[in-house]
Amino acid sequence: MQNNECIYVSEQFTEYQDNSLSSEIRARVDTHLAVCSLCRNTYQELNDLLNRLHDLPAVGAKADFTENLLSRIEALNQESTWQKIYRSSYTRVAGYAVAAGFVFALGLNIWIDPISSVSPIGSQRIAGEGQVQKTSTDSPLASQVDSVEYSKSDSITFQRNTINSGTQSLQLVSDR
Amino acid sequence: MNEIVRKTDEQLIAEFQGGDELAFVELVDRYKDRLINFVYRFLNDMTDAEDLVQETFLKVYKKKHAYREIAKFSTWIYTIAGNLARSELRKRKRRKTYTMSSLSFEDNEFTPVDPDMDTEGVVFNSYAGEEIMKAIKQLPEPFKTIIILRDIQELSYEDISTILDIPMGTVKSRVNRARLKLQETLSYLRE
Repeated sequence: MQNNECIYVSEQFTEYQDNSLSSEIRARVDTHLAVCSLCRNTYQELNDLLNRLHDLPAVGAKADFTENLLSRIEALNQESTWQKIYRSSYTRVAGYAVAAGFVFALGLNIWIDPISSVSPIGSQRIAGEGQVQKTSTDSPLASQVDSVEYSKSDSITFQRNTINSGTQSLQLVSDR
Repeated sequence: MNEIVRKTDEQLIAEFQGGDELAFVELVDRYKDRLINFVYRFLNDMTDAEDLVQETFLKVYKKKHAYREIAKFSTWIYTIAGNLARSELRKRKRRKTYTMSSLSFEDNEFTPVDPDMDTEGVVFNSYAGEEIMKAIKQLPEPFKTIIILRDIQELSYEDISTILDIPMGTVKSRVNRARLKLQETLSYLRE
């Protein structure tokens, strides 16, 4: 049956084996081991275990360990500058950030102006007209159709003005 | 007398930091076996142990200037290897592929056999060795590390204290508790 003294003594076993206890504590352990067969057995078994641990077969490196390691180092040193830059985590993170920023900007542009962002320049008006025709089928949006039609005519007027002003400009030149 | 003076590890790493790659090779030769023996006790797999020790040396090679001579080179390299080993164990736990079958000793080529030992002795010794390794594997992490460092690698308390960054008193009490725990686990071997 273990008592408090058994617990105290078992806590000293390692230093007892190392012979690093003070003479006073060592004497206390000796006294206890002399009278307690349970602790004496535990201590003996602990010694056996330590011997077994020390006797465990050592394992070691294979013959080509150093050669393989030096090959890996050589390969590392021969990497091109670009590979080294790519392998740098900072560079990779920066690259991903730029890519993410580009995708975000593109997405934002599409969200703000979905028609002009995705349509070729020459087909802008056609795409817009298609959308107008589609919305015109929905009666609640009829007023929107009107306003778009109005802007269409505006645009035509503007074009005419441009032509006219161009003509005027030409006329002015010819008047001189 | 033309006496060859063996350079210390600290001298070698200083020379390597100064650009002498031969000093690095010398350090590899000094530590490869010790580190494989150390890491193998964690992983119980020779191939993984070799890979991990190669990674350790690659880290030393790439981060050579991270070493400062305030600690011994041995404690620095054991710290790197120990951290990698524990990290590998955590990965294995996450993958949940670490089964008891992987605990078997398949690397018999590394097990020297005493020719004078009788067959029964060889069998029991081998069996006991396997059982001890299994029992170490089952110890809680702090106990396992301390048993490997102290009783298999036979490092000093001071070095272990530096490697694990714990006070010397804690090292000693942990060694004591780990041994008692291991002894308790292996009690069936005596029956």
